[in-house]
Amino acid sequence: MTEALPYRLIRLLADGRFHSGEALGAVAGVSRAGIWKAVRRLHDLGLEVDAVRGRGYRLTEALDLLDEAAILAALGADGARRIARLELLPVVDSTNRRLMEAARGDAPSGSACLAEMQREGRGRHGRTWVSPFAANLYLSLLRRFAAGPAALGGLSLVAGVAAVAALGDLGIGGIGLKWPNDLVWNGRKLGGILVDVAGEGAGPSHAVVGIGINVAMPAAAGERIGQPWIDLGAITGTRVGRNALAGALLARLSEALERFAALGFEPFAEQWRRLDAVAGRVVDLHLPDGVVSGIGAGVDAQGALLLRVGGRRARFTAGELRLRVRT
Amino acid sequence: MMDIRKIKKLIELLQESDLAELEIREGEESVRISRHGPPGPATAFVTHAAPPPPNPGTAPAVTAAAATAPEEEPLPPGHVIRSPMVGTFYRAPSPGANPFVQVGQEVQAGDVLCIIEAMKMLNQIESDVAGVVKAILAENGQPVEYGQPLFVIG
Repeated sequence: MTEALPYRLIRLLADGRFHSGEALGAVAGVSRAGIWKAVRRLHDLGLEVDAVRGRGYRLTEALDLLDEAAILAALGADGARRIARLELLPVVDSTNRRLMEAARGDAPSGSACLAEMQREGRGRHGRTWVSPFAANLYLSLLRRFAAGPAALGGLSLVAGVAAVAALGDLGIGGIGLKWPNDLVWNGRKLGGILVDVAGEGAGPSHAVVGIGINVAMPAAAGERIGQPWIDLGAITGTRVGRNALAGALLARLSEALERFAALGFEPFAEQWRRLDAVAGRVVDLHLPDGVVSGIGAGVDAQGALLLRVGGRRARFTAGELRLRVRT
Repeated sequence: MMDIRKIKKLIELLQESDLAELEIREGEESVRISRHGPPGPATAFVTHAAPPPPNPGTAPAVTAAAATAPEEEPLPPGHVIRSPMVGTFYRAPSPGANPFVQVGQEVQAGDVLCIIEAMKMLNQIESDVAGVVKAILAENGQPVEYGQPLFVIG
């Protein structure tokens, strides 16, 4: 597939240095005027370009682009065995939607899709997942199961455990999970996971696990996030390589899904409880028909949320958990 | 989990009465207490509305959709699509978007009818038959039970 001109241009400009219009045109195979037009289109992707007479063009900030060879190297031999297909896209509506559509065809279990940017990245309840170009990580993985969708309940939590483990592989600690699977750091959201599932009631079924992790969220894009957030740059004080992170995530996630397919959620329950960011804390669970207040009491063997409400323990499989803000 | 003290109270209540069996439902949980022939002691069973899931790698022996749920009103004739799980029912892929299907619309087998969300898993529920949507039996954004009728396709 020949990449569209703007992406060929981005590849050339990714180093953050000045490139003359002639030099870019020669490599990209278009005129200087063509380069000028293409540069203007980069603004549509949210990229800032400096154009300086006599020096040419440069990206205001260098980009760490997704790279197949670097991701495969980070995956390791064992991880690469479990990833059947790796697709890297410049722009997509949503990596999850793309894989769900591919799953209706013959896409094999272990197909992965990453994008530099999502135009319709999704959060929960149809909310937008803010997905600016090459800034964060947007990754989806397809897994097929022999059982029906009803058996996959704990999968959502398993993905969270795998994501925390992958961050740990890169030396990033202190990340917790907010039920069912938000990645949080000191009460701020670092990442989210959304799982799409389809299949026959009695099996087979398939699931696409989508993970979004804030790596280096630009300030302007961050203003569109409706809750306290954090990115890996702020946590570590360094620039975390997206390819190394993608490799670690795919390795950990594919391994966890394989284990889950064989054994279910139970072997992960203890790990999940150790990462529980709200255990023992006062929380509000927002349900379609009201709010339940209680104290976080972990999860049961199916991954359902347990809250201490009054004198008794209640079990929930739906709702949105928020920490009670003390005033 | 239902409080053990509450169950104890229910057992006492049953022992004081002439009832053979007592069933209490609270959300997803129910407790059934019955006497095993008079005048034996009362026994309690705590059950979940949904069966414990089998390991996802192995196909379950029973068809999940075959479970029956109490039906309050008679349904229009046709093929009933039931909820395969406990969760929240969504008629559209996102709040602003058009619903997947409307009453009177023709659907093919494999078309997505709704999404049921549980634990941040969005389960696309597909029609297993071709036909016309005769009825939509659940409300957008509301919780649905395991086995609850969602659509009638005729």
